[in-house]
Amino acid sequence: MNIFAKILFVFFLLNQYSDFLWAQYTFFSPKESFAIEVSLPNTELKRLPIYQNSISSLIVTGDYIIGGTSANEGLTPFVFAASLKQRQVVEIKDLNQIIPGQQAILTGFCLGNNNSLFAGTMANKKTDGSKGDGHLFQTDIGQDGTINIKDLGTPIPGEGIFSLIFDAEKVTLYGVSYPSGLFFKYDINTKEIKTYKNIAVTAQQVDLLKEYELGPQNYLCKSLIQANGLIFGSMPINSIFYFDPKNDSFHVVKDIPEVWGRRTLGQVESWAISTNGKIYGGNAGDGQLFEIDLVTKNLKNLGKPIGMNRLRGLSFGNDGKLYGIAGSKPGYSHLFSYDDREGFTDLGNPEFTMVAPGIEQGILWRGFQLGTLTSSEDGKYIVMGEDETLSQLLIFAIENKYEQRIGE
Amino acid sequence: MEKEINVDKGIMDPSVFFKRPTWKKVLIVLLLVLCIPAEIEVKGQGQVITKKNISFIEYPDFPEAHSTWGSIGYNAKYNTVYIGVTNHHDKVGFYEYDPARLEMKLKDFINNLGYLRPYQWQAKIHSKFVFGSDGTVYFTTDGGESREEYLMDHPQGYVGGFFMKWDPATKQMINLGMAMPFESLKDIEIDPESNTLYAITYPQAHFILFDPAKNDLQDLGRLASSHVPRVLFTDWWGNCYYVDWRQRLVKYEKDKKCFVFARNSLPAFEGTPGSKIITGITAFAKDDKNKIIYIITYGAKIIAFHPQKEGIGSVEDLGGVADTGDQPAWGPYVPNLNIGNNGNLYYIVGGHGNYIKKDTGFLMEFSLKTNTSKIIYEFSSDELAEATGSDIKDNDGNLYFAGRRESKKTLNSQPFMIKFNPGKEVQK
Repeated sequence: MNIFAKILFVFFLLNQYSDFLWAQYTFFSPKESFAIEVSLPNTELKRLPIYQNSISSLIVTGDYIIGGTSANEGLTPFVFAASLKQRQVVEIKDLNQIIPGQQAILTGFCLGNNNSLFAGTMANKKTDGSKGDGHLFQTDIGQDGTINIKDLGTPIPGEGIFSLIFDAEKVTLYGVSYPSGLFFKYDINTKEIKTYKNIAVTAQQVDLLKEYELGPQNYLCKSLIQANGLIFGSMPINSIFYFDPKNDSFHVVKDIPEVWGRRTLGQVESWAISTNGKIYGGNAGDGQLFEIDLVTKNLKNLGKPIGMNRLRGLSFGNDGKLYGIAGSKPGYSHLFSYDDREGFTDLGNPEFTMVAPGIEQGILWRGFQLGTLTSSEDGKYIVMGEDETLSQLLIFAIENKYEQRIGE
Repeated sequence: MEKEINVDKGIMDPSVFFKRPTWKKVLIVLLLVLCIPAEIEVKGQGQVITKKNISFIEYPDFPEAHSTWGSIGYNAKYNTVYIGVTNHHDKVGFYEYDPARLEMKLKDFINNLGYLRPYQWQAKIHSKFVFGSDGTVYFTTDGGESREEYLMDHPQGYVGGFFMKWDPATKQMINLGMAMPFESLKDIEIDPESNTLYAITYPQAHFILFDPAKNDLQDLGRLASSHVPRVLFTDWWGNCYYVDWRQRLVKYEKDKKCFVFARNSLPAFEGTPGSKIITGITAFAKDDKNKIIYIITYGAKIIAFHPQKEGIGSVEDLGGVADTGDQPAWGPYVPNLNIGNNGNLYYIVGGHGNYIKKDTGFLMEFSLKTNTSKIIYEFSSDELAEATGSDIKDNDGNLYFAGRRESKKTLNSQPFMIKFNPGKEVQK
């Protein structure tokens, strides 16, 4: 073999096997992706303080990302607005100024009529040690991002609000209380409240769940979705139900997809609805994605995007793909996408550039613990909120082809 | 077990040397001359610093040793230096150097000493060694290689880093348990008054508070960005310091049991990249007499920090670590710092492929009177590629660094300890 042939052969081998030799990860960092600094103690910038900023609720309305946070015990949460165009937080509001004694906004924001947003709270204990009262509240966002919050009161005394959905037709909020798991409805116009025990945890179930060191946060209905007029959620143990608002009836549909022996961990913690009439759910227990055919109510287990449990957020992008957050503590969350043709694509821990006053050159921010996810109205951006001591926003820009970047 | 630089003890042994034929003696002498590092004599405080002021000390009984990280510390109570030496995969030697006896000893490997099972493999001690008021030694362990970095939270990945305690009196290691699943512990500090340990995890940069006496471990959460700052340090009241992603000092104020964040970032050269800013501090040294902590940043600044019991305290920008000529001033990499009895700072510039001069390490002296630096020794990277260690000085004013040489041809790495005394010849 002459020298030229040898060189060609080496190039051939390198070309053939270089992918196999590359065993390490790269970061999916589309050019238009970015991070927004939301939390920073001791600053004159509009930022959230430490231990009060875990981003547990998110929605995008127009240019504004609206976030609701959870605080450590005894501290109070915030509502904030960040501009996608400005890539900055433009407004923060301490919920304690409007509704004292609250700890967390876990429900997500429901988009109501006239662009009002609705959410519910979990309360801190009262000063006498008794259980606090969760509140419903309405948020209206001004054109400049100003946040106006109106307290709608307590639907169930001594209970927090764990999940919530808005029915536009009936102008009614439906939710699940914490820790009892009572289903309730709240008529926004009449302020009438009605509660139902149909999906509440029973004493027998509590005894069983205690054997596995599981509390209400592990087994109550964490997320609701409305589809074809029905409201879907999960209930203990490992079941999916729907509520029919036409006749206030409850129906148990199916079991949540399970891993053998892990039924007690079953809990749907995220939902999304596709344009072709399927709803997709995420099981916290083992991280399975599943779909429900709304006509037949049949459920299909689509599998797990990564090895870890949890599936904390789901939302569709403008490319028709479903995006979600898989994994959580004690592991690391990954952004993933799913569609019927390609199946799952693991996009890893997102790592995007954060630019703000004082860090104009840009720094990289990596999202290890992502708490919630939503899409921009045009579906161009997938917006993720961190569940951290000092939580930030990570915004993934959907592109046709991603340039992957090797980590530093 | 002390050696001259690149000189085998067998060759140096006079009884062996003089028995050799003349041509061999000439050859050995010639080789020795060639092996002496390029040296510039420096007068500091009227003292001429020569090669006699420095020696490289090898680690015995660990032929596959690869490197040392921040894993060095001096125990004043027992007058001993401790070093963690690794094969950078799954074997970490725990070494003790006795300056009085000039003796370097492998105590054992930490998997044996700490009762670690194979699935609890540890690739490094990345932390410094810290000491309780009774001389008890504490350190933490680290995943530090591909299996941790990429397999992460998988059964084939890394289980997590441990706190370890060594009792020099009984010569016993006690495994104090893990901090967080899958997370390394990059550095440790101690409040000697309460023996509370501070630690920082990797890759999530969680600040950990651990009281070994009560087995009380608190995860105080994430403080930093993508590239985890590696260094914790304490002040004279036992408060602990770290940096956030803006390179602002973050103090854990132990009396108030809370964090205090500096309002402003530490000084940085104009144009310092974000990747340098988020990595924060690389080394520190304490001036106990004047209550000043000298800091080097990842952006190559030397800073004088004046801590105070409550609040953050003030900082002074002392300038860069070296004259970088037409290269960016923020470029030099300096993961080490010591302060001599003469009041000057000493550090070694270079490492991780980051040199002022290609493949060359520099031992530098920084005068705190004039805020100027000068080169003392220049080393080829196959003599000294990189050194770590913060604030390690024994009772005789000897300064210690954990060094590593790297073959230019094979990239093989070999660790050794550096003993340096700017005020006198280093005792053999």
